[in-house]
Amino acid sequence: MATGAARRGGWRIAKQFSERLTLSSSLGVQNGGGSVGMQGLGATNEVAPFGARAASNQAVRNRMRSVKNIQKITMAMKMVAASKLRTVQVKAENSRGLFQPFTALLGDAPAVMGNKTLVVTLSTDKGLCGGINSTVVKYSRSLMKLNQLHGEGYDTKFVIVGDKGKAQLQREYKKLISTYITETQKVAINFTQCAMIADEIIKSCEYDVIKVVYNKFNSAVSFLPTVATLLSPEMLAGEEAQKIGNLESYETEGAETQGEVLQNLAEFQLASVLYNAMLENATSEMGARMSAMDSSTRNAGEVLDRLTLSYNRSRQASITTELIEIISGAAALEG
Amino acid sequence: MDTFRLRVIAPDRIIFDSRAAEVILATNTGLVGILPNHAPLLTGLDIGILKIRTNELWSVVAVMGGFAMVHDNDITILVNEAENAKEINLQEAQEIFQLTQTKVSQADGRKENIEANLNLKRAKARLDAIQEGIKEGTAS
Repeated sequence: MATGAARRGGWRIAKQFSERLTLSSSLGVQNGGGSVGMQGLGATNEVAPFGARAASNQAVRNRMRSVKNIQKITMAMKMVAASKLRTVQVKAENSRGLFQPFTALLGDAPAVMGNKTLVVTLSTDKGLCGGINSTVVKYSRSLMKLNQLHGEGYDTKFVIVGDKGKAQLQREYKKLISTYITETQKVAINFTQCAMIADEIIKSCEYDVIKVVYNKFNSAVSFLPTVATLLSPEMLAGEEAQKIGNLESYETEGAETQGEVLQNLAEFQLASVLYNAMLENATSEMGARMSAMDSSTRNAGEVLDRLTLSYNRSRQASITTELIEIISGAAALEG
Repeated sequence: MDTFRLRVIAPDRIIFDSRAAEVILATNTGLVGILPNHAPLLTGLDIGILKIRTNELWSVVAVMGGFAMVHDNDITILVNEAENAKEINLQEAQEIFQLTQTKVSQADGRKENIEANLNLKRAKARLDAIQEGIKEGTAS
């Protein structure tokens, strides 16, 4: 309660003093934590609680100022996130058309198990964005455990994009992390950047299956954790994939062997899927931050209201006390 | 007239999404022309020009690599980057081309050589696109 805050500031002292005085008359003003004592006329007052109350008033005022500043900051962060959301959302929606033809061509095979799995976790670099990083990390951990349950021959490694995911996963899986990629949003996300990341992933680890875990942007309040499955060129040429995809019905040109075309195709698919996934994750980050900052602002407003009430009450109480002392002093002189 | 559905998609925007009568692609192994009712085809595209014919008019697009999928009179072309010939300035393209040519001769070391050659290819693609566009009368 707000009185708890006031108590922390200086009410404790005031309460001690007020308890020493007689708490009699109806002129005493009741406050939540302590009560203003008032003496009967003519009694001597040894200790005035006045100084102590002023200290607690000051404390409450300081706290109010800091809460107001916090409210302003979170409001500004919300506006910034809202404006960034608009630009990234447009880019994310435009990028969906790039990877969908791949799904039409090669099919979507989330159940295909490979010996070497690579889990690419997309998280944010900055915090204060709600629970989206925790959900992505939770899904990545479950994928890792699922693969480990399958037995010996199934290797799983992580590639982590973003500082927050790195912080959460490196405690448990430090040895299984193959690559970290951070500070991806220093320049606006573009396809070249994702092509380079895809290149880096393909160069640095051997894999059969890649699972990209990210938050898909559904609307400003709903972010769905999603796993995109990509197969390596060798797996694509294998039996299981052929059953799902349409690759067989195509003649291929453009390189010496079909294997080479599949290689290029898989690289391009990884870059396109990563591009879309990173944009969707960035959009989800902005949306989550917007709603987190919005609820922070609202909470700060509530705390501020409660503090203001308690501050005003204690202020009025001290004014009343002062008046009473003056009047009783004057009355004592006259009478 | 026989047409097929053609979509040219870049990561940040859709370059073309409508029907066309013929399209000429620059693949890694040469130029390929696609007419309606073509057999299913999957091919990689090199850095070069893409020509689209709609109603006897050819429009030219410079593309920086990608993939083309032909199936059932529906062609999807995914590109890394694309520029319509209409948006290219002839003089600027020529200047950039000459600049990249000198860079190639100055390049020192394998990595620089490869990068310089790549830039040269891209500049040439842009220049070819605008020159072809002027020839076909759809760009200036």
